[in-house]
Amino acid sequence: MFEIEMIFSFGLFSLGLYGVSSGRDFLRIFFSLEMLLNAVIMMLAITAHYLGFTQNIVLAYMVMILATLEAAAGLIIFAAANKIAKVISPDELRGADDA
Amino acid sequence: MNLVLLSAVMLLAIGSLVIKKSVPAMISFILMMFLLGLYYINLDAKMLGLFQIFIYTGGIMVLMLFGVTIIGLEFPKAKSKPLNAAAAFLFFVTLSALFLRGVDTLQKVAPQNVEDIELFSASYSDFVIIFALIASSLLYGTVKMNSTLKARRSK
Repeated sequence: MFEIEMIFSFGLFSLGLYGVSSGRDFLRIFFSLEMLLNAVIMMLAITAHYLGFTQNIVLAYMVMILATLEAAAGLIIFAAANKIAKVISPDELRGADDA
Repeated sequence: MNLVLLSAVMLLAIGSLVIKKSVPAMISFILMMFLLGLYYINLDAKMLGLFQIFIYTGGIMVLMLFGVTIIGLEFPKAKSKPLNAAAAFLFFVTLSALFLRGVDTLQKVAPQNVEDIELFSASYSDFVIIFALIASSLLYGTVKMNSTLKARRSK
């Protein structure tokens, strides 16, 4: 059971990695970043429950705070990029800079 | 129960990346986070599960809604990147193989007599600090996004 649940968390992490690397638009990149961080929280919770590393729960809270800060700061950057360059994807932003 | 929850989480995660319309993709993401919260509660990490539900299906989703107002109802069309998908799959296989190879060692080094440490129960100030950090970042994001949208609307 422990192994299968860990493999599910690896799957979620890989999915997030794909979403971030394909980088189509800002909102999907945020979804993927949240997935990456949630996969880490999931690993910490699983190891705390099955292996007894209870201090991992504290780390999980810290990662959760980090995820919240990242979402807040990232969306502000997205809004600013949209306001200044009228773009909704990082690729367009690069193009706007070149122009 | 856990496997059913995790299977649903994976399906919803794939859905949130694949669905072309922004609002259904966001609903899929919200459901995914909610089910993850239920999963943590099922793993006896009740406070972590409740935090997950409050923060993700509550706070962060409000911020994402601001993002949807900028993106519009449909995501912009983009080229599919099969190389990235292959790289992510390769990463998953490598990570799983490495984990399965070392899982016995991990179980050996795990603490044998688990003491039920009382996290945060000695002092509520830790809870207050965590809530304050999360709430202030969410509030800051909401206020900034609101002012950006206001400026955009006035133009």
